[in-house]
Amino acid sequence: MVAVVRTAVAIVALAASALAFAQAPLERAVKAAYVYKFLAYVDWPATAFDAPDAPFVIGVLGSEAIADELRQIVAGRSVGERAVQIKRLREGEPATGLHVLFVGRPETARLAALARSLHGQPTLVVSESPGALGAGSTINLVVATDGRVRFEIALDAAEHNGLRLSSRLLALAQSVRPGGP
Amino acid sequence: MLRTVRSIRDKVMYVVLATTFVALVVAAVALVVYETVTYRDATIADLTTQADLIAITSAPALSFNDPAAASENLSMLRVRPGVLAASVYGRGGELFAIYRKPDARAEVPERPEADGARVAGDRIVVQQPIVERGERVGTVYIVAQYELMRRLGNYLVILGAVLVLSLGVAFIVSALMQATVTAPILEVTDVAERVIDQRDFSLRVKRSSDDEVGTLVDAFNAMLAEVGRRADEIEASNRSLQTEMVERRSAEDALRAADRRKDEFLATLAHELRNPLAPLRNGLALLKLASERPDLARDARDMMERQLDQMVRLVDDLLDVSRIATGKLALRRARIDLKDVIAAAVETARPFIAARSHRLEIALPDGPLPLEADATRLAQVFANLLNNAARYTEPGGRITIDAQVEGREVVVRVVDTGIGIDPAMLDRVFELFAQADQSLERPTAGLGVGLTLARALVALHGGAVVARSEGSGKGSEFVVRLPLAARPIATVPESQRQPSGLRSAGHRVLVVDDNRDFASSLAMLLSELGNEVRVANDGAQGLDEAKAFVPQVAFLDIGMPKLNGYRLAEMMRAESALAHTHLVALTGWGQEKDRRAAQDAGFDRHLVKPVKLEQILDILETLPTREGSSAGPRPDAGASSS
Repeated sequence: MVAVVRTAVAIVALAASALAFAQAPLERAVKAAYVYKFLAYVDWPATAFDAPDAPFVIGVLGSEAIADELRQIVAGRSVGERAVQIKRLREGEPATGLHVLFVGRPETARLAALARSLHGQPTLVVSESPGALGAGSTINLVVATDGRVRFEIALDAAEHNGLRLSSRLLALAQSVRPGGP
Repeated sequence: MLRTVRSIRDKVMYVVLATTFVALVVAAVALVVYETVTYRDATIADLTTQADLIAITSAPALSFNDPAAASENLSMLRVRPGVLAASVYGRGGELFAIYRKPDARAEVPERPEADGARVAGDRIVVQQPIVERGERVGTVYIVAQYELMRRLGNYLVILGAVLVLSLGVAFIVSALMQATVTAPILEVTDVAERVIDQRDFSLRVKRSSDDEVGTLVDAFNAMLAEVGRRADEIEASNRSLQTEMVERRSAEDALRAADRRKDEFLATLAHELRNPLAPLRNGLALLKLASERPDLARDARDMMERQLDQMVRLVDDLLDVSRIATGKLALRRARIDLKDVIAAAVETARPFIAARSHRLEIALPDGPLPLEADATRLAQVFANLLNNAARYTEPGGRITIDAQVEGREVVVRVVDTGIGIDPAMLDRVFELFAQADQSLERPTAGLGVGLTLARALVALHGGAVVARSEGSGKGSEFVVRLPLAARPIATVPESQRQPSGLRSAGHRVLVVDDNRDFASSLAMLLSELGNEVRVANDGAQGLDEAKAFVPQVAFLDIGMPKLNGYRLAEMMRAESALAHTHLVALTGWGQEKDRRAAQDAGFDRHLVKPVKLEQILDILETLPTREGSSAGPRPDAGASSS
């Protein structure tokens, strides 16, 4: 009995210290999962793929950790007929041929330029910086006050890039910036 | 009505109501069973669908870890009052979102249980996985009210209400519609009862429908008609049987009475016939002894003559009565004066009246009293009445006979001062063998034939005779009424009647009769009287004879072989040469119809056998003397035989 209590106390203590320390990794994992799950709620135009079974390509810029998380998530998984490829983008590397471009917080400064360069391209730009929607991002991941990861959506940006976002996704968004008429 | 006639009407009603009731109950049971089976399935399917919807809408919320969105989705179950609680669990089984119906005391488990549906008491639980892209991302769990019992209760209430309502409507509809079925039947029943009550078979049921009841009505009416007809027939035959029975009984009574009278008559007859025999025998004995006493012999002879006369008269009267009864008495009517008749009657009766020491008074009118009558018979009538008066009056009495004309009748009254007639006997005195005094001590008994004969003879003359009396001991009065002849008496000179022997001679006479003895005897007689006579023994021979001989008068028998008398007469009449031949029928049949038949056949006269010679002589006398015809050419006499 004493041993059980002691063990339980030890586990609780360990878990508490792990949460406090691994705040960032958990947030990264959630964000990576979200990015992956977005694939199911966004329709790309047919021109975005070379073939019916051409894979999704997710480009990750400025967050090695998230790229790793994504690689773990998509391993052995597919969305519909398509497999999912994770592409780590280096600085200066052109962000072309991507279906999703995740711009990590360190690269926020380049976001506006990237978004402009991708204007009209069937690429879903996902960011994680407050106010990123103004910089041309389509979906911006935010951490709500309760610590949960939420997101906000700019429909005008999606429309510019020929993407259609599921209403179910919109229903979960913290805020939605409306698109054009 | 429904109470008084507790039969078809009620039965129809019961059938309708029972049928409705059974149908409704069967329908209700089927409905409840169906409901029981389907409600569970339907509820499970419904909740499963609901759970699936929740699963689909909650999948993104689970994916993006948004319990608020999931709760919002769950809260849509508000619109389903049956849902008490619902929850969504995450991938690892952790409670993600929860919904509770306000005020409902239902809980969801901390962690998901087995997938699928299950019923526990009044709760039903459905748990469905939440699958996103083939991947289970969570679980949805719904607890709902399982309302089968309540629903069944509601159903039963509704069905009960429907049952009551249906029975009510069925009752009303049946009551309205059954009139078309039961009314004709009730009408038949009604008429049947009236027929039984009133015995009136003329009643009929009005046919008001074309179905089996209509056929029944027709058959019933036909049966009534048949029964009525038979009842009438039986009644009619009963009536005729009764009439027949009454007639038969009266005939039987009459026969019995006639039989009794016949017995009485035979006794009286034997007695009356025997009466004169004793005096006759005494007379004979006297005659034997009286050879030397001529006065005694004369007295005896006179007495015997009187007795014999009485006997002869009795037998004659009997024969006459018999002839009248059998219709064989024929009157020889002639134009006569009643005064002569009365004179003759008085002459006949006078000896007996004198013997009884009566005084006779005769009062007759001055003028003649012409009658178309048989003088002999009428004389017989009045002689009988006078004899009767003399007999039933004590010696030394008074007898009156007078005659008066009253209108077209002559009334003759014979009045005596005798023993009289009891009023009860007044009519019966005319009956055959009726006796005023049945006692053995009666002084002078007649046979009771005289009055009967008198009445019958008067009746034959178209007259009537009645008896009157003030009573016993006060005398009697017999009144005879006879019709007067229309024309005055033809005064026939006596000289013309007397030489009959001459006038009946010199005629050509044909006699046709299959009775050879009668024919030849008549022929001999007529020949003796100086006539030329031919005889034939059958009709055919008679016709030949008649054609050849052309007789002035022909006596023809009616019943003959080969050709009867009627036919013979017709055929003779057809011959022009025989048109004026006087044809006389000789027959045993004297009825009126026989006379008519003879007349129709062309006969001039009709004589009933046995024929008296006088009748034949009369005919020959009345024939016109046809000297001219006898002088003319005559057929060859040699061709005929005599």
